[in-house]
Amino acid sequence: MTSLTLRGITVSLGHGDARTPVLRNVDAACRPGVLTALVGPSGSGKSTLLAVAGALLRPDSGQVLLGGTDLAALGDGERARARRERIGYMFQSGNLLGGLTAVEQLLAAASVAGRPAGRLRAAAEAALTEVGLGHRLRHRADRLSGGERQRVALARALFLEPELLLIDEPTAAVDREQAGALTELIARTATARGCAALVATHDPVVVDAAGATISM
Amino acid sequence: MYLALLELKAARGRFLLMGCVVLLVAALVGIVSGFTTGLGDDTVSALRRLPATHLAFSPDAKSDQFARSLVPADTLTGWQQRPGVRATPLGVAITRGTTDRHTEVDLAAFGVEPGSFLDPGAAEGQRLGGEDQLVISRKLADEGVAIGDTLTVDRLGIALKVTGITDRASYGHVPAGYTTLGTWQRIRFTTPGAKTPAAELPQQYSAIALRAASAADLAAADRELGTRTVALTDAYAAAPGYTGERVTMTSIQFFLYLIAPLVVGAFFGVWTVQRQPELALLRAMGASRRRLLGHTLAQAAAVVLGGTLAGAALASAVGLLVGAEVPFSLPASTLTTTMGAVALAALAGAALTLRRVATADPMTMLGAGR
Ligand SMILES: Nc1ncnc2c1ncn2[C@@H]1O[C@H](COP(=O)(O)OP(=O)(O)OP(=O)(O)O)[C@@H](O)[C@H]1O
Ligand SMILES: [Mg+2]
Repeated sequence: MTSLTLRGITVSLGHGDARTPVLRNVDAACRPGVLTALVGPSGSGKSTLLAVAGALLRPDSGQVLLGGTDLAALGDGERARARRERIGYMFQSGNLLGGLTAVEQLLAAASVAGRPAGRLRAAAEAALTEVGLGHRLRHRADRLSGGERQRVALARALFLEPELLLIDEPTAAVDREQAGALTELIARTATARGCAALVATHDPVVVDAAGATISM
Repeated sequence: MYLALLELKAARGRFLLMGCVVLLVAALVGIVSGFTTGLGDDTVSALRRLPATHLAFSPDAKSDQFARSLVPADTLTGWQQRPGVRATPLGVAITRGTTDRHTEVDLAAFGVEPGSFLDPGAAEGQRLGGEDQLVISRKLADEGVAIGDTLTVDRLGIALKVTGITDRASYGHVPAGYTTLGTWQRIRFTTPGAKTPAAELPQQYSAIALRAASAADLAAADRELGTRTVALTDAYAAAPGYTGERVTMTSIQFFLYLIAPLVVGAFFGVWTVQRQPELALLRAMGASRRRLLGHTLAQAAAVVLGGTLAGAALASAVGLLVGAEVPFSLPASTLTTTMGAVALAALAGAALTLRRVATADPMTMLGAGR
């Protein structure tokens, strides 16, 4: 099982005069099979740290160790490869591809990762059923509710058995009742898969469900 | 490519619409090029068939030479004596006639010397043997003139016996027929309505057809003999309507070749801008730039190729429908090259938008702004 270790992460964002330090020498670790909550005030850099962990953003300095690999040391192409093969990412919003059905969202991810998407339809349906969307398989993204979209995003993030699951504010756009159910689902599936899972959140419900907490 | 197909399917309405636009542009290019070739053939195929390299006209005729130029017999003799050149007279006159079975036809009368290199021979019946005989182009046979018919030239009363049929040839949209030079001179120089034939007809021709090994000595001969020699292909412009038709058809094609990439480029431009969030998401999910470029190009190729193929089919169908009534000629080779050019132009238009695909920024996925 793979764990995630962040060491001495320093990030500045923006260009020229607008360049601002966002992360200064941040250390964090995330064990496999444990849902780790990343908490901190708004603007403290939670989303930025997820992006660094997810190989979307290369830190100015520091190491991003996933298994034996330092993602921060990889080139553009290799980081894209790590994203499609090793990391599942559930963004705060805009997770779904317009015009595609729930099942196709998962198949698209498989296609991006170079898997034989055409033969994974049954697996995609099973994955969606597992997150409680067995009755929404053929619904297009724009016909799903906010909570359903988050579930599709979670199913997709987990579909290719990633070593690392990253989730940004999963409950920000759903009601309290949904938030509880979604959190329970995330905690259960992340733990069951045994992957390292990091969730940035403000939501006490999520923090309570998490097995560990990192404060920014 | 599975993803490319998923996207094609998801946006099938748009892609179908775009495919239809490509289809229409391609069909129009095909149809216009069919008419360009067809009209061109109809105007100059009789000239194209002349096995000559050059034509010598009289120097006063600078345009419409076939109608204006008259070259006297002694000039012909002068040309025939030039070393390295073979020369034979040619007469061209457009007229009308009626057969003894009351078929009315237009006729481009070509006066040639039987047995000379201009003699077209005959694919059916007898080749040109003497005065008052006529070997007709296949096109006249299609219009109802048959071997054995007597064709009387309107208002001149000259009766021509149809002895043979040769391959399709026409001049100025009028089907060609071949006569001897003597007969041609009677057609050309007889005054309409004259009660008796003129006692002596001028010994003149429209042009002298030349076969020259090299163009080198022609200018000197022109100076000495007082003629104006042009290459056979340059003489096409002297056929009635040829230049005008060419310019019209070519400019239509030119604009279509401009429109195709612009329309396709505009479509893919809008499509790519609208798709920026999806492209950013796909990049964030780990799709490489190359991959996204590849699949955008594949989608463009699918639309463009589908559209062009359907357009080619439509143009061919139009050709089959109207080919018998109007001059339309779209051989497979022309169809292939024009459709290839349309497809390339359209793909070039799509390629203009690729930069935006490559620059989609996965970092825009962060935060709640989406
Ligand atoms: N492109 C950028 N250029 C400059 N500053 C940026 C840029 N993106 C983010 N920042 C700044 O970085 C800081 C951290 O942003 P980040 O989104 O990581 O915070 P966060 O902890 O996720 O906040 P929230 O809880 O509101 O989501 C913020 O102060 C933000 O203004
Ligand atoms: Mg955030």
